[in-house]
Amino acid sequence: MILTSSNTLENKEIIEYKGLVTGESLIGANIYKDLFSGVRDVVGGRTSRYEEELQKARDVAFESMKDKAESLDANAIIGLKISYDNLGGTMGNTILVTAYGTAVKFE
Amino acid sequence: MVLLSNLNKMKIKDKEIDLVNSLKGLLCISVGTAFGLLVYGIFLYFHIDIFGWNLGLIFAPLAAGYVETILANRILGENVGAISAFVLFISTTFYSFILKNPTLGVNIITAGSILVILQAAFPTLINYILLVVLGGILSYPLNGLKKLVKKIEEIVAKRPILFWEPPEIKRDKIKPYDEIESNRKINNLDFYFITSTDILDIKHERIGVYGSHVILDKDNKIIHTNPEESELKTLNSIKHGKDECLINLCEKIKRNGGNGIINLEIEYFLAGLGGDCIQISATGMGINIHD
Repeated sequence: MILTSSNTLENKEIIEYKGLVTGESLIGANIYKDLFSGVRDVVGGRTSRYEEELQKARDVAFESMKDKAESLDANAIIGLKISYDNLGGTMGNTILVTAYGTAVKFE
Repeated sequence: MVLLSNLNKMKIKDKEIDLVNSLKGLLCISVGTAFGLLVYGIFLYFHIDIFGWNLGLIFAPLAAGYVETILANRILGENVGAISAFVLFISTTFYSFILKNPTLGVNIITAGSILVILQAAFPTLINYILLVVLGGILSYPLNGLKKLVKKIEEIVAKRPILFWEPPEIKRDKIKPYDEIESNRKINNLDFYFITSTDILDIKHERIGVYGSHVILDKDNKIIHTNPEESELKTLNSIKHGKDECLINLCEKIKRNGGNGIINLEIEYFLAGLGGDCIQISATGMGINIHD
């Protein structure tokens, strides 16, 4: 599965637009996790635990998107967009990770 | 006969001595009482009181008894029982509580004052009543209560111990959102959702910018008993809201003669006062693709 944020696929011809595919995941309101990452923020260290969570959330969103593309018999996703949105939470740490694009079939 | 006559003479003399001593005692009591009244008068005149309670009520009887005792010891060589203190106690109480304050109410302060005055006047009697009589009376019901508690303890100890297991609370598990099915529905609307900025190889006509918005209630609980469940619930709600937003956008463009959208943007914001809601917006350029 090819993923690209551009409108076209280099050296490949798009033969069919299969439709929209989306993937979402949430890093959530776990108060204990939030508290520890808050402590790291205060002392100035990198909240690596949080970075791991973000990476995991992005992977979940991508997998969900790819599964949908496969279910539509597509072999690439173009116009890929990723966003990270803060939805508040206990310490402002509830993050929604979304990925979406257009599933296409290329030759 | 002479002996009898001498005895009679001695009795008469004793009676005379008793009378003189009684008069001397009466003098001591009178002086003591007069001094006590003087002290009470001074306390009243200078308003020496605490919370409206004149201290002369305590010091006047004390002063009277003190003066009387000193005087009696000097004149008679013995004390006469501080009778002036009782006289002062009765007279000052009568004056201050009945004559001066006839509106004295029946309340806890009056009762307390009476008790304090009685305690000062008759300490032995009042202490006996409080400690012995009242204590004795109270011991009966307290003893009965103790026996009752012991009886209950024995009954409870004899009973077999019952174990109660709380009923199992069955919670409906939140089902994950069927995204594949939902995505299939979105793409079966006879509508092109394109996220890229253009579709170069398909002929189309741009019909304008369109947008659609959906507002969702946010879970504002600070602490969750089951955070994973809460996250799943929020995520399902967001996915459902996004699908609804895309369907609305599709219908809007279709009503205006379009059959697709390019440069589609899906955005998520916090909305409302204090970010109480989640806003989902889908915007893009409506197009009409020619067959």
